[in-house]
Amino acid sequence: METKKLTLALFSGSVDKLTAAGVILGGAAAEDMDVEIFVLLQAAFAFKKENAMVNDRVSEISDKKDEFLASLKRLQAPHWTEAFKTAKEMTNVKIHICGFAGKVWHGEKLDDFIDLADDICGIGEYMTSAETSGINLFI
Amino acid sequence: MNTEELIAVQVDKSVDARGTSCPGPLLAAKKAIGQIDKGQVMEVLSADEGTRRDIPKWCNKKGFEYLGTVEESGFFKIFLRK
Repeated sequence: METKKLTLALFSGSVDKLTAAGVILGGAAAEDMDVEIFVLLQAAFAFKKENAMVNDRVSEISDKKDEFLASLKRLQAPHWTEAFKTAKEMTNVKIHICGFAGKVWHGEKLDDFIDLADDICGIGEYMTSAETSGINLFI
Repeated sequence: MNTEELIAVQVDKSVDARGTSCPGPLLAAKKAIGQIDKGQVMEVLSADEGTRRDIPKWCNKKGFEYLGTVEESGFFKIFLRK
């Protein structure tokens, strides 16, 4: 069976969109898809070690943030970092931190980011990945 | 299979994913399918409405045989053959 590929340009650093990305990654993992994630600007903030577990960023319907976060807890939904980790354990997921985005948030080295990140890259890698993917998403 | 046949089918692996929301049951099924042999039957217990649509589609894509779904009180039993 031919392996399909998903490329995700992950711009958002807010918990709601990162949670949605985690759900989509779960679907990709269930189908053994190859996944390449490019962590851009605001998402690079969320991927920094000191920020990843802070749940105070909700970009959509932000006046309902407390209700949203309480519902995630009620539904026992995994934190987005756990969802990403599960996907990485189940299928081939590579997470690239955009070098420019890292610098914006004073993250110069891979060690500045959570262990889920595989490397720091330039936009050329994103273009190459996007050209060879059946599914391209921007979140 | 009809409901009577599904209730009577011998299950080789049961996965209880009732405590999880989408995509939890699907991922639980994905993890468990590696633990049974080809030809064996697995049931997935899920309280997530979307799962009863996801599992048949997943079976079709992965080459497994979707056998059917039995609705219980507050959850579904979804049967498939590897």
